[in-house]
Amino acid sequence: MTLRTTNPVVRAFVSLKLTIAFLAALMVLVMACTLAQVKLGTWPAVEIYMRAWFVWWDVPGTEWRIPVFPGGALVGLVLLVNLFLAQLVRLELAWKKVGLWISHAGLILLVLGEFVTGAFQVESQLAVEEGQTVNFVESPRELELAVIDVTDAAMDDVYSVPAARLERGGSIPIPGTPVAIQVRRFFRNSDLAPRGPADPPSPVTAGVGTGVAVRERPPVSRDDQTNQAAAYVEPVAGGRSYGTWLVSNGLGAPQSFTHEGRTYQLQLRSRREYLPFAVTLKHFRHDVYPGTQIPKNFSSLVTIANPSRGEQRDVLIYMNQPLRYEGKAFYQASFGKGDTLSILQVVENPGWLIPYVSCVLVAIGLIVHFAITLRRSSRRRQADSEA
Amino acid sequence: MNLKRAVPWIAFGLALAGAAVSLIPSAKPRGFDVEAFGHLPVLEGGRVKPLDTIARNALLMIRGKQSVSSEGRSIGPDEWLLDVMFRPEVADRQELFVIDDPEVLGLLGIQQSRNRYYSFATLAPRIDEIQRQYVAAEPVDAKVRSHFQSAVVNLFERMFLYHRLKNTVQLEGTPGLAAEIAARAGPGAPQRHEMLAQLAHFKPLLPVTPTGDAWRSVGEALAGTTTVEPGLEQWARLGLAYQAQDAASFNRSVADLGATAALGRPDAVAQSGHEWLFNAAQPFYSGMVIYVLALLAVFVSWAWRPVLLQRLAFGLLVAGTVVHTLGLASRILIQGRPPVTNLYSSAVFVGWAAVLLGVVLERMYRRGFATAVAAASGFASLIVAHHLSVDGDTMEMMRAVLDSNFWLATHVVTITIGYSGTFLAGALAIGWVVRRHLARRADPAASKAIVAMTYGIICFALFFSFVGTVLGGIWADQSWGRFWGWDPKENGALLIVLWNAIILHSRWAGYARERGIMAMAIFGNVITSFSWFGVNMLGVGLHSYGFMDKAFWALSAFVASQLVLMVFALLPARFWSARRAEAPAPDKGGSEGASQPV
Repeated sequence: MTLRTTNPVVRAFVSLKLTIAFLAALMVLVMACTLAQVKLGTWPAVEIYMRAWFVWWDVPGTEWRIPVFPGGALVGLVLLVNLFLAQLVRLELAWKKVGLWISHAGLILLVLGEFVTGAFQVESQLAVEEGQTVNFVESPRELELAVIDVTDAAMDDVYSVPAARLERGGSIPIPGTPVAIQVRRFFRNSDLAPRGPADPPSPVTAGVGTGVAVRERPPVSRDDQTNQAAAYVEPVAGGRSYGTWLVSNGLGAPQSFTHEGRTYQLQLRSRREYLPFAVTLKHFRHDVYPGTQIPKNFSSLVTIANPSRGEQRDVLIYMNQPLRYEGKAFYQASFGKGDTLSILQVVENPGWLIPYVSCVLVAIGLIVHFAITLRRSSRRRQADSEA
Repeated sequence: MNLKRAVPWIAFGLALAGAAVSLIPSAKPRGFDVEAFGHLPVLEGGRVKPLDTIARNALLMIRGKQSVSSEGRSIGPDEWLLDVMFRPEVADRQELFVIDDPEVLGLLGIQQSRNRYYSFATLAPRIDEIQRQYVAAEPVDAKVRSHFQSAVVNLFERMFLYHRLKNTVQLEGTPGLAAEIAARAGPGAPQRHEMLAQLAHFKPLLPVTPTGDAWRSVGEALAGTTTVEPGLEQWARLGLAYQAQDAASFNRSVADLGATAALGRPDAVAQSGHEWLFNAAQPFYSGMVIYVLALLAVFVSWAWRPVLLQRLAFGLLVAGTVVHTLGLASRILIQGRPPVTNLYSSAVFVGWAAVLLGVVLERMYRRGFATAVAAASGFASLIVAHHLSVDGDTMEMMRAVLDSNFWLATHVVTITIGYSGTFLAGALAIGWVVRRHLARRADPAASKAIVAMTYGIICFALFFSFVGTVLGGIWADQSWGRFWGWDPKENGALLIVLWNAIILHSRWAGYARERGIMAMAIFGNVITSFSWFGVNMLGVGLHSYGFMDKAFWALSAFVASQLVLMVFALLPARFWSARRAEAPAPDKGGSEGASQPV
């Protein structure tokens, strides 16, 4: 059944001109995104060009931002609507069009899958040394201020404040404790150096930070660079200040203060998400080709211990062979500390299966369609040569 | 009539015979069995290969060519390697190091002249200065090095490779391996063994265990042994014989070394034998020559005896394809990998797929046109491959994440076929443009056939580039959990898919007619070359001088040429040579393009 319409809005949305214009716009965006990666690094470029509704231009010297080009999300949406409507309105439901129907359905699925990924995919890392057991994953880009009540030797109470909240400043009450954190200053990126005699006086009054000079640095975004954030924070509890502390992901050991018999640790660190299971690294392997330093294989033999399922088993994670467990996939990503530290990339994406299905659909659809076309054209050529 | 039928077969047979000539064993230069020497298996770069490969790659890296003149004659790589290892005083005087950079020449106090090759003896007095500049330039990230820094790093690395080759079997300036063996327990021996082990460019001695892959350098084999293994002693005799230029004794030592290897590692001997054959046959070079001949035959056919010469050209094209295929198949067998593993092999494969498609098209349309385009594409891609091969071993080992034959065979091969298709469509369109502007007689049927071919190939290219791109996403999902990461290489592949989709939709909607489709197909070349090479150059850094290297200029020139061709494609009919027949009906050419969406 084919719908015919005279509604001009619908007609505009189903037109092939729109398809071609927006495919071209997508090419421009992809090109711009690729070139921008040279300076910005992958993720910021993708945020600006692909995951945005519009590409914005900051008018120099003003506060104005003008949308100059549709962003990837908008282009994707328009193409999706265009394809969907065109399918219903323009493309007849006939056997000779079956290939196009299948491949277009696959394409719709592919674009939807990219929206699902954009909305729901969470990437984090799990770094574990041989013999160590870890029950959390860390965000590679986001930081948190952890306030940890370590009074009970058997169990820690962890409260975490996202770095974005620290950046807004002000007083942050820590729920479930009498403590509130006053943020005096936040640096998105900084240099830490031992204080010299020429350095200006530091606002820090407690902890290792008293001997450290903090210099602000412009934030970086390239994939191979990390920000060393820092903050001056002042814990206040029961109307009493415990001094101003320097926290930074560049400082090693956590610092602590004690209020009414309870000891609290302060640490600025990668944002953690705790897992309902624990991962122990039994052995990490780094094989090279004989007589060279060229890596041949990396693999991590880990034990998964999940008390809620009563499960304890060994798993070998290696290149192109991830572990999929509890909705997360664990990939061998990196290593360090003389091949005793293994870093696993952890990805949670509910839509991970969609591209597989869509690829199969599009491929089958194109084969069917081109086969039909080829048969018709060879028949035509045969008829020509016979005539 | 019979002659016409036989012509393609005769051409085919002659071309294959010509290609096989290189396999006939050559005369022993000055009585030395250099070929047997080239067969010997050694370990380098993580795999077992014949010494011939080591010699060829090293000479190619240092000199950019596979031969060098020495003592008044031209010598091949194997003889050169022998000179380097056992007669360094001769090798030092060979004009070996190609230096093009005027600043580096200035550093050496040499004025740039027509001579681009310099012997080690010429460079030796300035070696401290070269090293000083190298130490200064080397820590700079390769992406941001200046032209001079890149050139000086490159020169020093080549000189160091030369130095390592000299010190692989025996230390330079010592009496030789035989004396080294005799003094193996003497004073200073452990230090010398350590040096030999560190400097060795390749490992010539078999693993101790018959199945292990721990091949050993001379230094490693000498260290801590009291008994002398046969391999060491045979290398010592070989060295002495070559130093003394005693051909008979040399040939005996080579034969003994071959026997030792055949006894200990027959698998390695067979493997390196295959590779030696592949090196000697130079199938891609022969293929290149045959493609040029096919192309010439088509050109001549346009002026003289069209039917006969077109058949001849087709015979040559098929012969070229066979040689090309054999070369590709040997690489697959030697490496134990699917055909595309690096940029070099992708160029070989792109050409191969394009030629194969061209053969099919020629069988379908029989106009000689597809032969010309296929031969030109095959030739061009092999030239590109040749220029990509000077970085060293083209069969390097695959890094861990790429070490997956399944994904190399599926994703990489499909995407490369996609490149191939897009390029072939572009090449057909270029052929169409050239024909339009040069042919004196208009031939609407031929023109229509070319458009139909181009359309078919674009469909083919869309299919393969789409499937290849998505398979790449699936590989990425399998190996780091990110189906699509907007990584430059992925984006490049996506651009090809989008562009082919745009062409097809424009045609189906009737927005682009014959000229438009052809111009768009040519632009496909620009997109594909960006995705294939341009993206790799991005990593080299837009803000560096290094970016302005030869490959970048070559790519820019290619893009510019394609843009010019697009303008020619878009010129209306009154500019064509063959306008008379088609001028009255400007819409006629587009009548096919204007057909309803199919």
